[in-house]
Amino acid sequence: MTDLLELLVSAAASGCIYGLVALAYLLITRPTGIINFGVGEWAMVAACGAYVALSRIELPYAVSIALVAVLMVAVGWLTERLAVRPLVVRGAPPLAPVLALLGMLVVFRELVSLGFGPDPQPVPPAFGFGRLELGLLAGSYQSFFIIAIAAAVFAGAWYFFERTLTGRSFEAVALDRRAAALMGINLSRVTALSFSAGAVVAGLAGVLVAPNVSAHYLMGMPLAIQGFTALVIGGATRVEGALLGGLILAFAEQFTVRYAPVPPGLAMGVPLVLLIAFLLVRPAGLLRPREARA
Amino acid sequence: MKIASPRSGRMAGFAVRAALAAAALAMAPAMAQPIKIGIITDKVGPAKPYAEPVTAGAVFAAKELNAKGGVLGRQVELLIEDDQARPDISATAARKLVEAGATFILSLSLTPSTQQVQTVTLEARTPQLTPSNSGDTLTTQIDNPYFWQTGPLGSTQIATLLAYAANRSFKRVALVGENSDLGQLTNRSFKAGLEKSGVQIVAEEVVPRGSTTADPQMQKVRAAKPDAIFLTGVTTPENVLILRSYRQLGLKMPLLGNFNLSVPQTAVVAKGLLDGVVFVDAFDPAKPEARRFIEAYKKENGVEPYNLNGYGYDGLMLVADAIKRAGGTDKEKVRAAMQATQGYVGVLARWDRPTASPPASARASTATAWWCGCTKATGRARSSSRARSDAGAGTS
Repeated sequence: MTDLLELLVSAAASGCIYGLVALAYLLITRPTGIINFGVGEWAMVAACGAYVALSRIELPYAVSIALVAVLMVAVGWLTERLAVRPLVVRGAPPLAPVLALLGMLVVFRELVSLGFGPDPQPVPPAFGFGRLELGLLAGSYQSFFIIAIAAAVFAGAWYFFERTLTGRSFEAVALDRRAAALMGINLSRVTALSFSAGAVVAGLAGVLVAPNVSAHYLMGMPLAIQGFTALVIGGATRVEGALLGGLILAFAEQFTVRYAPVPPGLAMGVPLVLLIAFLLVRPAGLLRPREARA
Repeated sequence: MKIASPRSGRMAGFAVRAALAAAALAMAPAMAQPIKIGIITDKVGPAKPYAEPVTAGAVFAAKELNAKGGVLGRQVELLIEDDQARPDISATAARKLVEAGATFILSLSLTPSTQQVQTVTLEARTPQLTPSNSGDTLTTQIDNPYFWQTGPLGSTQIATLLAYAANRSFKRVALVGENSDLGQLTNRSFKAGLEKSGVQIVAEEVVPRGSTTADPQMQKVRAAKPDAIFLTGVTTPENVLILRSYRQLGLKMPLLGNFNLSVPQTAVVAKGLLDGVVFVDAFDPAKPEARRFIEAYKKENGVEPYNLNGYGYDGLMLVADAIKRAGGTDKEKVRAAMQATQGYVGVLARWDRPTASPPASARASTATAWWCGCTKATGRARSSSRARSDAGAGTS
């Protein structure tokens, strides 16, 4: 029983990380239709930024997070300006920006590998390393912190898309770009904002997970894959789907390892088999896209 | 080299005469071509954290040799190729080095890459050494008389750990590692070593690369109640996850790790998590050779070297020693000289001609200075309890 309750916290924390990366994908893909596999690399850039701010300069945690967020806004905005906009303006086919962003992925990874070296670097957690017992639930401080922050981000994102005018303009672009443009919505502003927001959310995932996995140049790709899987499970259309997808993936991973009677080498394949089976049953993911409302 | 730009004709004449005289004086050594030694390393791939410091050690060794007049009066020229830890590129890189006239090839990338390079060195009859790979299979799968391995073999590591643990009589143990190629290979070596010594493995867990937690795996270990845990993972991020879960879940049984825990960066990232953890290392900074190496390296590069730099340094120095004894760069003579290496005292160990048979496994050289240590609460100071492992070391 102790194991189960510990694992609930651990899997929920991992699920929140996957969910945040899925949200980063979603923020970009919804209004623009572009899938940016570089979100994992953004998480890596933010983790390295957090390493500099927290471990090297030893700034307070909140200040560090704010600085990293500013850095990520710039990174997202620059990525859009340099790799996406020139292609869209020249009328490149939809897959061209995806390829350009894959190129940016390599650029980010190599920049970090050159700038920070190949070794993993330590990023301290928000409240130190320790075990917190909340009633029956038990886990590390950082696990509870990850869950709390992710809950706040998802609540904020949901509120933004459902309740604010700017959020609705994103939704309008997602539903029909041409109609939205005709209605006076500034498409390039929405695109730039979506990249910046995506970079901030991916960066947050990176900073939150870095105390566990350390900041290093290879940390991005696994996060990008886990986040993308979560996105597909969740349906790739709605904010709550991203979180749900992340949680399902993390629970499937960790409960398989802990309880399924399969050899350790095979356990990591089980969630992907589940994913394939799941997509056969529900090809559009768990949550269906919302219909256009009058 | 600076080029003089004389201002007057007289000055120009003098300069030309001086240059000619200098050229004539320098003629004899200039005639001697440099000795080319190829290096296959990983500059961008997953082996980079290990390959880079090993390469830096080899580069430093070449600098040191050249500063003392080179080998046999010839300068040592390193031809460095990057294979991205991809075996498909490694073979091409090896061919390029052979064609460029490399007398010897040092393999500093991943074990599978080194394996692939062997197909080329065997065919091209070019001596090849890996001073840093720990995979036991390198000397057992291809019968390549041109290949040697002096790296920290998995079987040597587990033999050392078992020698250390001899008086602790572990009956039931758990193996925890990750799923990189080398991690799996180390796991296999450890498993074989444990099973050979009659220890029961009650749990065997793998933390996949890129995981965000090792809690489920360590919960299974906790449930299996082993007497000790042997850590076979070689990638630092996953090792740190394992160490963190070990503490977080309140596990108390001894934890014994492979040599990757001795890389200083592990102590930086796993701050406070390595206390009391036992691991193997071949680098003993207290030894005179190591002390001299540390001082010289620090003077040249401004940073203190560690074990991985030592592996690269010893590798290149072993090759230089063989070329010196061979009296030239004839590959067959160099091969024979390398095979006859006896009593070469390096930074890490004394390297001896292996005596074990069959011949294939005999080319894994014997390092007789492996020892175990455990970190204390402060820094990387190790406990005085050491265990040397001579038995079976280096022969797979």
